[in-house]
Amino acid sequence: MSTEDLDLSADEEEITAETVLKTLQSAWQNERLAPEILPHRNDMVECMLGQIQHMERNINKLPKTDLRACIHKMELNRIKYIICNYLKTRLNKIEKYCISIVNEERQRTESGTNYLTPSEFRYAQEYLVNMENHLKNTVLNHVPGRMQTFEHNKMAVYPNLQSHVFLKANSTVNGIVLEDMIGDQDEEIDLEEDSQHILQYKPIADLVKNGKVQLV
Amino acid sequence: MDPYEIEFIGENRIVSIIPNFSYDKIYLICGEFGPFRAGLPMNVPLWLAVMLKQKQKCRLVPPDWMDLDVLENIKEEEKRSRFFTKMPNEHYMVEAKLILGAASEDIPRAAEIKTIIKDIWDIRMSKLRTSMDALMKSGGSYGRLDHLTMMEINSVKPLLPAAMDELYRIKMMTRKSTPATLNTSTFSQSGSSQNI
Repeated sequence: MSTEDLDLSADEEEITAETVLKTLQSAWQNERLAPEILPHRNDMVECMLGQIQHMERNINKLPKTDLRACIHKMELNRIKYIICNYLKTRLNKIEKYCISIVNEERQRTESGTNYLTPSEFRYAQEYLVNMENHLKNTVLNHVPGRMQTFEHNKMAVYPNLQSHVFLKANSTVNGIVLEDMIGDQDEEIDLEEDSQHILQYKPIADLVKNGKVQLV
Repeated sequence: MDPYEIEFIGENRIVSIIPNFSYDKIYLICGEFGPFRAGLPMNVPLWLAVMLKQKQKCRLVPPDWMDLDVLENIKEEEKRSRFFTKMPNEHYMVEAKLILGAASEDIPRAAEIKTIIKDIWDIRMSKLRTSMDALMKSGGSYGRLDHLTMMEINSVKPLLPAAMDELYRIKMMTRKSTPATLNTSTFSQSGSSQNI
């Protein structure tokens, strides 16, 4: 994360608001369609929120009936929708796959490749604690002693990485290996630029994360 | 995703309008547009075009492809080809729906255009159903779908990936009942997420 941050701040001047918006929109789309939680794009969210604030201050200077104010407001509402929906989608995934995400995130934090923002991670941990307390209070404390332990591993829900997704290739990627379940004959396919496919999420998960493909 | 979200994405496409007012350039986050000159055509995002139209501040210029002859050709081509042909744009259905909905009086022969676009959609959807059927019968876990637009892909979304997921589960199940293999661990993982 640290190197990426440095790169970003180095050419911060060159990134236009338009590019940020495009990146954010594709991150939103990917997050909506991927079965697992993806690395956060908090840099983009923060940057866009700053833009929005700046814009809102300017709009307030305009008379209310001004056509420009209407247009700007409409655009800001569209962008806010994307941001809200993006963050909500992530929270939904965090709640659903809470245990597995917290476990995996702990390992990722050690290697510095965290997927959650610090506040998301805090939310995930608090959610887990609350869930555990709730289950203990309602059920576990009322059953015989040796059955009272809360077994994280048995409660963990994992995203189904084998589920099928639609994607569009942003650039050509060769040699994606599709496992064959029956014949042990693995198949290899190439994703040409702009081509569209339906396949399992798992073999292309990394390509989603590094932006080589876009889920549709 | 919901169809209205696909529509939302499609609304970012650039279309041409003729404003009936004059104004300076406007600097939006998604880019700068204008200057607005009454009577002169200019490009704006579709959402802005529809908004201005609703305020009766502009006329919409029909996109090049929204023309009976062009669409007739596309329809014939679509009928002839075994595969999906390339559509004039990635969001033709959204564009058609919004433009014809908000500004049908700006489009010559709007009713006929509406019908023919609907025809093209129907032909493509029936093709899509046939190829989905073939894909499932061949037990495939992979398909290539060039030239399908986002709305078309989305229309089969709960069904096709879910069916392929089930097929995969069944395959894994038959595999599991034969002597244990290395892959069973991945199955129990996907299985547990289904159960809860």
